[in-house]
Amino acid sequence: MTFRSKLFWVFTLALIASVALIAAGVTIVTRQAFEQMYSQHTDALVAQFQREFDQRKRDVARQVRVITDEDATVRMAIALSRPQADASVYVNDATGVSQSHQLDFLDFVGSDGSIISSAENPERFGYKLDWLTQPVDWSSLGSFLMKLDTQSGPAIGLMAVSSVRVGDKNLYIVGGERLGRNFLGSLVLPAGMRALLYLNLDPGFQAVNLLDQDGPAAEGDRFAPFIDRTRQNPVPGTFQVAAGPDLARTEEFHAQPLLGRQKELLGVLLVGTSQQEMISIERRIRTLAESVVAIGLLISLLLSWWGAARVTRPVRKLAVVAREVSEGNWNARVEEKGGGEIGQLARAFNQMTRQLSEQREHLVQAERVAAWRELARRLAHELKNPLFPLQTTVENLQRARTGSPAQFEEVFRESTGILLAEIENLGKIVGRFSDFAKMPQPELASVDLNEIIRGAVKLFEAQFSAVGRPPITSEFHLAEDLPPIQADAALLRRALENLILNAMDAMPAGGILMLRTTREKGEVHLEVSDTGTGLTPEECDRLFTPYYTTKQHGTGLGLAVVQSVISDHGGRISVESEMGIGTSFHIYLPFKPGIRPMPAPLAETREVVGTQKA
Amino acid sequence: MKRRLYLSAAAISVLLFATVRARSARRPAYGGTLRIEIGAAVNSLDPLVAAAGPGEADAKAEIDGLIYERRNPDGTFAGMSGSGPFRISAWDPGKHVTLAANDDYPSGRPFVDSLDIQMGRSARERLVDLEANSADFAEIPAEQARQAAAIGVRISASHPDRLLALAFLAGRPAAQDQRVRQALSECIDRSAVVDFILQKEGAPAGSLLPQWSSGIAYLFSTASDPVGAKALLAQIGGSPSLVLGYDSGDSFEESVAERITVDARAAGLTVKPQPMSAGNGAGLPDARLVRLSMPSPEPGASLQSFLKTLVPMAGLDSLQLPTGASTEQIYSAERAAVDTYRVVPLAWFPHVFGLSARVMDWRAPDPGESWPFVDVWLDGSAGNLSEKGNP
Repeated sequence: MTFRSKLFWVFTLALIASVALIAAGVTIVTRQAFEQMYSQHTDALVAQFQREFDQRKRDVARQVRVITDEDATVRMAIALSRPQADASVYVNDATGVSQSHQLDFLDFVGSDGSIISSAENPERFGYKLDWLTQPVDWSSLGSFLMKLDTQSGPAIGLMAVSSVRVGDKNLYIVGGERLGRNFLGSLVLPAGMRALLYLNLDPGFQAVNLLDQDGPAAEGDRFAPFIDRTRQNPVPGTFQVAAGPDLARTEEFHAQPLLGRQKELLGVLLVGTSQQEMISIERRIRTLAESVVAIGLLISLLLSWWGAARVTRPVRKLAVVAREVSEGNWNARVEEKGGGEIGQLARAFNQMTRQLSEQREHLVQAERVAAWRELARRLAHELKNPLFPLQTTVENLQRARTGSPAQFEEVFRESTGILLAEIENLGKIVGRFSDFAKMPQPELASVDLNEIIRGAVKLFEAQFSAVGRPPITSEFHLAEDLPPIQADAALLRRALENLILNAMDAMPAGGILMLRTTREKGEVHLEVSDTGTGLTPEECDRLFTPYYTTKQHGTGLGLAVVQSVISDHGGRISVESEMGIGTSFHIYLPFKPGIRPMPAPLAETREVVGTQKA
Repeated sequence: MKRRLYLSAAAISVLLFATVRARSARRPAYGGTLRIEIGAAVNSLDPLVAAAGPGEADAKAEIDGLIYERRNPDGTFAGMSGSGPFRISAWDPGKHVTLAANDDYPSGRPFVDSLDIQMGRSARERLVDLEANSADFAEIPAEQARQAAAIGVRISASHPDRLLALAFLAGRPAAQDQRVRQALSECIDRSAVVDFILQKEGAPAGSLLPQWSSGIAYLFSTASDPVGAKALLAQIGGSPSLVLGYDSGDSFEESVAERITVDARAAGLTVKPQPMSAGNGAGLPDARLVRLSMPSPEPGASLQSFLKTLVPMAGLDSLQLPTGASTEQIYSAERAAVDTYRVVPLAWFPHVFGLSARVMDWRAPDPGESWPFVDVWLDGSAGNLSEKGNP
C-alpha cells in the first residue's frame, strides 16, 4: 500500500469516525429529548384520562343523587315505609328511570337489602344485596367499582349508592355504569391514544376480558404478562407492547389498576400511546443522520483524496526521482520547494544523490582501473608462462648457431617444435578470452534438465575414477516430476561442466559430488555440491568476477561463463560454502525464460553474489 | 198548605223524573259499534286453513265463535250460514274485520250493530288505545293489568284458567336425572313470579289445575326450597347445566325464564334461557316454558286436554283419565304428572280484558267460552267517545 493510500485511508477513517460520532451523538441526544417529550406527553394524557375517569365517577354519583331526590323516588320510599307495603308495584320502575338517566345499572333496594326493582336484572326482585345494609356512609363514599352479576354474566360497574330515609326505613338507590366497551367509547381520548380495559372477572388471564371500544381487543394475549404482573402487584406501571417485528407498531401502555371498595383488583385500565410518531421521527432523524454520514463519507473520501494527494505529492516526486536514481539516472533531482520537512528531505536527498553520484564515479573509475590491472595481471601471468619457454628456446637457438653449428639442426628442430607448441598455447589462451567475449545467445528449446545433468556427469565419470587419483563419487537426487524447461541445452551443459570441473578441482583428495533438482513454484532448482576444501567469504564475494580465480592455472572465466549462461536463461545463481566442508552452487531456472517468479533485482543481486555459511 | 202541596208535588215529580231518567240510562240500548283490538293477525277464517301460531289460532277461534254456533265435526258449516250472533260484513285478511249483528240469531239480535275488530295491535298499542278511548275492548297481558288499571282502564279478568308450566322435554340427556329436575323445581320462587312478574294477577301453581276448578290444588306445594335444591345438587356433584326455551315473542315467558335462571344460579344450577321461534336455528332446549289454557271449567276435561299436550312433550307415562273422572282420579293423575318433575307448574293466571267506560254488561268468559258480546251494549252517555276507528 502506497504512502498516499495509507494517508488517504487515515484521513478517510478519521473523518468518517468524526462524522459518525457526531451523527450518533445527535441521534442519541435527539432520541432522549423525544423520549422525554413523549414521556411527558403520555403522563399528560394519562392525567387527562384520570380526570375523565374522575369526572365520570362524579357524574354517576350525581345521577344517583338526582334519582334519589326525584319525587317519584321519595313517594316510593314513603309507600314502602308503610306496613304491608306492596313492593311489586315498583318492579318495573328502575328500567324507565335508568333509561332516562342513562345509567346501565339501577336498583331500588328496600331497607332490608331486598331488590325492589332492578334495571339490569329485573328478574332479581326479592333478592338481597347484603353488602348494601352494611354500616357504610354511602353519601360520602361517592362512586366506586364493584363486581356485579348480570344476565350476561359477571360485570364490573362504576357504582354509587344513595338512600332516602322515611321513618326508620331506607330506600336505597344503587346506580352506575357498566365498565365495558361502551364506557371506553364514551371517554374522550386524544389522537394517538387508546384505552383498553381488562375486566378481572376470572381467576386467570382471559383474552376475552380485555376490551376496546369495539369489544374484545385484538391479539389480547400479548397483554397477558403485563396483566398478570398487575394482578399480582396492583400498582400503576408502564410497559411496552410490540406488535410484530415492526417497531413502529409498538405501543406504550400505562396500566392503572382499578380497585374495589375492599381494595380488590376488579380491572386494569390500559392507556396506550402509540409509539408510531416517535419512532417515525426517530427513523427520520436516523435517516437524516445516515444521509449526513453518507454525504460526509463522500466528502471525506474526496477531501482525503485531495489532502493525501497534496501531502504526498512531494514524497511521490521524491520516490519517482529515487527510482530514477536507482535505475541509473544519477542526474535526477527533486524540486526543492518550501522550508518544511518535505523541503528539507528534498534538499537532503539531492545532496545525498550528488554525493552518491560522485562516489559512484570514483568507484567506477577505481573498479575500472582494478579490472584493467587484474586483466593485465592475468594476461601477464598467462602470457608470461609461454613467453619464458619462447625466450629460452630462441636463446638456445642463438647459442646453438654460434656455439655448436653441427648440432644446430637438431636444436633448431627441437626449438621450433617448442616454439610452435607455446605459440599454440598462446593461441589457446587468447581463444579462451575471445570465447568469453563472444558468449552466444541461447537458442531455447524444451529440454530435460535431468538428462543434461546425467549427460554432463557421464563425461567426467572416467576422470572421477582415474588411476592415481582419489575417487570422486557422484550422487543424484533428481526430481522425477521435473517439467521440461525452455533452455539452450548446449549452454546449460557447458555451464554444468564448468561447475563439475570446479568441484573436481575443489576435491583433490576425492569426495562426493551431489547433484539435486527440485521443482519449485514456477522454476526448477539445481544444486551442485561438493565436499571439497571450501571457500572463504572473500572468495565467495568475488567468485563470479571475470578473470578471478583461486587456482594456479585458471583463467577466472569458468564461473563467469556459468553466471552469464544462467543470466541469459533468466535464472539466478548463488553459492554457499564452508571451509573444510564443501561448496554448494544453487541455480534457479524458470520454466520459461522471461517469466521470473521473483523479479526483485535486489534479491537477485544478492543471490548472484555468493554467500558463505558460518 | 196548598203551596206546600204544590212544592211537594213538584219535588216528587222531579225525583220521579230523575229516577226515570236514571233507570232509562241503565237500560240496554241497541246500536253502536264495539271497537275491538286484538294482537294476532288472522289471515283466514277458513277452518281448513291452519293458523300460523297459537295466538292466531286463539283469535281465529274467538272470531269463529262470534260467527257460527254450530259446525260439523270437519269444521264445515252445519245449517244456515252465520248461525252465530254476527256475520262478516267486511274482511281485510290480517288487518281488519267488521262483523255486523245477525238479526236472525236464534237467541235474539245482539245489542250492538257491529263489531269492528282491528288485528295485529301490540299490547302497548292496545293499552294506549284503551286509555285514549280509541278502543272499547281489548285483551291485555295479565302482567299489565295493574298498570292498565293505574291509568284508568276498566279491567275485567277471568278465572285464572291459564297455566304456565315448565316442561322437561322428552329424551334430553341433561334432564334425565330426576334430582336435577327436582332441584330446579324447588329453587323456583313461584310467589315472586306471581307477585312481581304477573303483578299479583294470578296464583302460584303446584298442580296442573287451579284451586277454583279442582278444589285440590292446595294439596300441592308451591313453596320454594333453595336449601333443598342445593342439597340435591350437592348430591349430584358437578355443575349441571340446562337450556330453558321460551317463546321468543312472549315477554312474559322471557321474564319468567330469566327469573328461573336467577333462582337456579342462586342454588348452583346453570340455566341458560334460549328464545325459541320457528326457524331461529337454535338447538332443542332441555326444557321449555309452556302455556296451557283450560278448555272447560270442568277439571277432568281440562286435565285431559293438558295431558294431551304434556305427555308427548315431557315424555310422561300415558295417563288414562276417564270422562267424568272423580276428584280422587284427578288428584292421582295430577300427582303422577308432577311427582316426576317432568312437568313443573309455575303459575295460573287469567285472561284480562280492558274495557272502555261505555261497554256495559260484559262478563269475563268461562274457560272454552267465546267472547260473550251478545249481551254487551254500549252506553252512549258514558265517556267522551269517538266513533272514529283506529288507523
